[in-house]
Amino acid sequence: MSPSQPIIEAREVFKVFTAQGNRHDRRAFLALHDVNLAVDAGRFVALVGPSGCGKSTFLNMIAGLVRPTEGIVRYKGAPVEGVNTDAGYITQDDNLFPWRTLQENVEVALEFRGVPATGRRAEAGKYIAMVGLGGFEHHFPHELSGGMRKRAALIRTLIYEPDVVLMDEPFGPLDAQTRVILQDELLKLWEGSGKSILFVTHDLVEAIALADEIVMFSRAPGTIKRRYTVPISRPRDVFRIHAHPAFGDFYDQVWRDLKEEIIEVALEVRER
Amino acid sequence: MTAQEAAAGAMGVPRGRGDTLLRAVEEQERARERRARWGIVAGRVAVGVGFLLAWELASGRLVDQFFVSRPSAILGALWTMLVEENLLYHLRFTITEALAGYIIGASAGLLLGFALARVDLVFRIVEPFVVAFYGIPRIALAPLFILWFGLGITSKIAVATVMVFFIVLINTIAGIRAAPLPLLQVARVMGASEWDLQRKVIFPAATPFIIAALQITVPQAMIGAIVGEFISSNRGVGHLISREAGLLDTPGLFAGIFSLLAVVLLMNQGITFLGNYLMRWSPRRGITRDVV
Ligand SMILES: Nc1ncnc2c1ncn2[C@@H]1O[C@H](COP(=O)(O)OP(=O)(O)OP(=O)(O)O)[C@@H](O)[C@H]1O
Ligand SMILES: [Mg+2]
Repeated sequence: MSPSQPIIEAREVFKVFTAQGNRHDRRAFLALHDVNLAVDAGRFVALVGPSGCGKSTFLNMIAGLVRPTEGIVRYKGAPVEGVNTDAGYITQDDNLFPWRTLQENVEVALEFRGVPATGRRAEAGKYIAMVGLGGFEHHFPHELSGGMRKRAALIRTLIYEPDVVLMDEPFGPLDAQTRVILQDELLKLWEGSGKSILFVTHDLVEAIALADEIVMFSRAPGTIKRRYTVPISRPRDVFRIHAHPAFGDFYDQVWRDLKEEIIEVALEVRER
Repeated sequence: MTAQEAAAGAMGVPRGRGDTLLRAVEEQERARERRARWGIVAGRVAVGVGFLLAWELASGRLVDQFFVSRPSAILGALWTMLVEENLLYHLRFTITEALAGYIIGASAGLLLGFALARVDLVFRIVEPFVVAFYGIPRIALAPLFILWFGLGITSKIAVATVMVFFIVLINTIAGIRAAPLPLLQVARVMGASEWDLQRKVIFPAATPFIIAALQITVPQAMIGAIVGEFISSNRGVGHLISREAGLLDTPGLFAGIFSLLAVVLLMNQGITFLGNYLMRWSPRRGITRDVV
């Protein structure tokens, strides 16, 4: 891979879904419409857009879990065909394995990759300490709080050092304080790592606090409406991001564009 | 709470009163578990003794002793069987048949379940056949198996096997198909091979179903073995029971039944241990006491 080549590239991507529900009403549905996007290595990119516009579908395509109906998704220059085990994927639900303890959950990817037990344990211990979960190694997921489970989901992906981390509203279900704390932890883990992150969120403040760049999807069928470069330098203070002089104007600008799409969705719903 | 206390708490430093409370709850919890264990044992003994006592008293007074016998007479018959009729010899056959049938049926059901359920198309093709075979009254196959496998132990093992096999197969398939898709996807992205998926995601996800099937089928295996022996055999507890019945010896009949009961309970206990171990991650086990 040459340095100038984007690490992720989508070209004229379309996705058509058919619902499994009713056999007599197999109407197809256009989820993505002509999506073109290139992400450079090492960038933190936030994806925003109205609900149902295909953001999760797009991440699924990069992870190789969903195939484009038309068009091509490239990862490190090669078309994604089959599951992309080179990337990490953090979903909205933590999806920890309920039958594994915290420690075993954090280790699992290394286990799949054939790392011997002692190496796994040491590595997991390091990451567990990094996010302050020491002492909970032998708890099962149902014995952890929501924030703890999210931290576990985060480090069980970072532990195998994927070059690209896909994050789908990872902090969605958390309370406001835990959210900001986790955002801060994420930035600390990411800064200087050289990893690329694709981060889906509905929270513009979160997008601005974390990302280098914001990509806005239009309402369904989703297509990329606009891209913005976040005018705030790093390192960032996520706790006081509102106070940054560039924050207000930039937020208003992005929100105006997003509101347009959301209002259109609302109008379409009313017309039906 | 003062700011100082809050800070200490946040950093996980034990605070005086909280720490005492921690130890106290731990001690309470241990005591509670001890009490519960003994309480359960005592409760079981009480129920068992009460039942036998009621039976003993009712027999001959409320109901004709010829039909229901009485515990003391059954105990006597059990003793006679043990020393004069070689009960242990017969039990050994019956247990071997039931256990062999159970192990063969359960393993085959598990293996075939895993083979069939993973590919949707294969599953959809074979599903009606599995259900159809399951729908056959399997006991009715016993005479056929005796025809095929002879009067010896093999035919009884075969009956026990079919009694177990389909239930385990159907439950295994249901369990595998209930494995949550997001967990499978996440595991795949983390680099799981198909073998990893089967062993580390699908199998644990299916355990509640599999354990249920393994529990249900313990008595089924016993039924299979006994029915095989009823139809034709010169040994085994089934043979013993049908002979006692022929002699109108009710205490002997009940004695046979009780010895089978003991075996089934023991096997079931084994599966319960296995289930508790495999399901130790489940929030439903043990934790419910905090939920009231
Ligand atoms: N497996 C599927 N089968 C059929 N339709 C699907 C499937 N997955 C997604 N869709 C449809 O595709 C559209 C986009 O879904 P997607 O989950 O990508 O949206 P999203 O942008 O992530 O929304 P949200 O912000 O609410 O999570 C939706 O209309 C959804 O109904
Ligand atoms: Mg989504």
